[in-house]
Amino acid sequence: MFRTSDIVLIGVMVAAAAMTYTIKRDAGEQLATVRKIQAQIRTEEETIDLLKADWSLLTQPGRLQRLVERYQDQLGLEPATPHQFARVDSLPQRPLTIEDITAADAAGKLIDPTQTGAVE
Amino acid sequence: MIGMLNPFRRTRQPADDTSIVMDSARKSTGGRTRNRVVMTMAVFFGIYAIIGGRLVYLGFQDPMPSGAPASRVTAARPDIVDRNGEVLATDIKTSSLFAEPRHIVDADEAIEKLSTVLPEIDYEQTYNKLKSGAGFVWLQRQLTPRQQSEIMQLGIPGVGFRTETRRFYPAGPTTAYIVGLTNIDNQGISGLEKYIDGQGLADLQQSGLALPKDLAPVRLSIDLRVQHIVHDEITAAMDRYKAIAAGAVVLNAKTGEVVAMASVPDFDPNNPIHAQDKDRLNRMSAGLYEMGSTVKSFTTAMALDSGKATLNSTFDATRPITIGRQTIRDFHGKGRVLTLPEVFIYSSNIGSAREADIVGIEGHREFLHRLGILERMQTELPEVARPVEPKVWKKVHSITASFGHGFTTTPLQTAVGAAALMNGGYLMNPTFLMRSAEEAMANAKRVINEKTSADMRYLYRLNAEKGSGKRAEVPGYRVGGKTGTAEKVVNGRYVSGKRFNAFLAAFPMDDPQYIVLSVIDEPQSEKPGMGATAGLNAAPIVANIIRRSAAMLGVEPDFGHENTATLASY
Repeated sequence: MFRTSDIVLIGVMVAAAAMTYTIKRDAGEQLATVRKIQAQIRTEEETIDLLKADWSLLTQPGRLQRLVERYQDQLGLEPATPHQFARVDSLPQRPLTIEDITAADAAGKLIDPTQTGAVE
Repeated sequence: MIGMLNPFRRTRQPADDTSIVMDSARKSTGGRTRNRVVMTMAVFFGIYAIIGGRLVYLGFQDPMPSGAPASRVTAARPDIVDRNGEVLATDIKTSSLFAEPRHIVDADEAIEKLSTVLPEIDYEQTYNKLKSGAGFVWLQRQLTPRQQSEIMQLGIPGVGFRTETRRFYPAGPTTAYIVGLTNIDNQGISGLEKYIDGQGLADLQQSGLALPKDLAPVRLSIDLRVQHIVHDEITAAMDRYKAIAAGAVVLNAKTGEVVAMASVPDFDPNNPIHAQDKDRLNRMSAGLYEMGSTVKSFTTAMALDSGKATLNSTFDATRPITIGRQTIRDFHGKGRVLTLPEVFIYSSNIGSAREADIVGIEGHREFLHRLGILERMQTELPEVARPVEPKVWKKVHSITASFGHGFTTTPLQTAVGAAALMNGGYLMNPTFLMRSAEEAMANAKRVINEKTSADMRYLYRLNAEKGSGKRAEVPGYRVGGKTGTAEKVVNGRYVSGKRFNAFLAAFPMDDPQYIVLSVIDEPQSEKPGMGATAGLNAAPIVANIIRRSAAMLGVEPDFGHENTATLASY
């Protein structure tokens, strides 16, 4: 005869079996996803490599030079001449205007006359 | 439970008394059951024996060859990048299309479908391939990813893809001689590709440990932008002067790094059909030339460094020197006594011979060896030629060597020697890999003293202002240099129409950062009536290179002391 304990044990067994099955199935699914993602990563990596190569091909100085020469009319790009390079401190000071002086006066900050260029 | 449900059970129980009858009945039925069991077993044994036998039979049979051949291990190589990280060489994966003719159902249909994606496919040839009955045929190598996915969409049975690794050089011919080439097995066969293999990559590949992820990119000292400018300029110059070859190098004077080096004619490393041609040679490091008057830089430096001459010394250049059957004349003869700076800027052969004379034959030879001009250069590039010098040095050899004849060396090591003259007297091996000034100084060798180097800087600047290097002037960048026009030897004689021209320059002259050397082989005059000396063709190449690249090299233009060098000296 079946006792209550038997029924309980059978129930536990069935539950355990069901759980094992679900976990195994889940694990299988997860593994499949992992494999899929790995394959995807590999493809992406290869694509990145290819795009990098493509990028360096498109940004070759030689190619850019050809393009600049061909579209010279529209772009109007010229090589920089040595005269166009300077440091900030080698720029001359901007001459003061009357407005600058009156504005400074109004703010209560008197400008040193030697700095304005009015007095040498 | 059964007993309860079976009402006959109780009534049957008394029948146990007649046990003999029951026994015999059981026996008779038991015997029949055994027969059945045996028969069933026999049938199952039979079935399994057939299956097992078939398995053994199949196991011994060679399987029909089908599918792609075993994947060839294409060894991965590290990327090669320039000093700013721009890719110069990389591995790319390409797919190749193959077919298994045995599994092709309808060859006509397959070709028709394929031709929608690959219009250039040859119908007849492909048809023959597909009907050949072979296990495996290549249909098209190296497809683009787009073509691959389109072919997959067609769903043709019996075709497949195999990925292959291929070396790709985005810069193409621009860096061909520096980066080099690999063979079909992805092993380096020339240039820095070969050097990388020698550094342990070959062993890694053999042991199968060269995984693409673990290979750090190899960073070169080359600046791709400057490299392009150099390549562009020498290509244009070779065309303009109808020369047979041209080359140039930009060398960092403080670190010995080669920032750019090119030689034309060259080849496309992505399609190296011309790589083995006779005239394809990296002339800068593997070409041997009599460098001509540029060598007078070394002769002058030697005279100054020996302490037997100063900038105020004078040398008698009134009459040609006759030694044996040879007479040494000046190209721009002044016919008078010249000071040392005049010997340099007028490029006097007689004066240079007299400079060498005060040092002596052995001293002269020792000095050229000390500067590495006559030694085999130590660098990463495998294509390096060994200079050729006379076996025994006599007086005539010392005289001709003083103006750059009678021995051959490579243009690159001439530039390296010049770097030592300019940077305060430190000779450092040229390198194609990144190196800091400290690392360079740690292995540098002092070859001339500080004072000589300062005098040489002055002479270089003077020559660009007053001498043969005027066409190398670039406003703001204080270029200085020495021209060299050497006549070439044809059948053992010097021929006046065939020249090898060079211009050896440094900039900015107040503290030289870079050495620029250009060479041009057998140039013709640009226009009829014009000359074809180095000042007219090699010097403008240098000027163009400096004008276009100085900003990228980080040299600040300065118009403040445009003429101070001359002012300070006179």
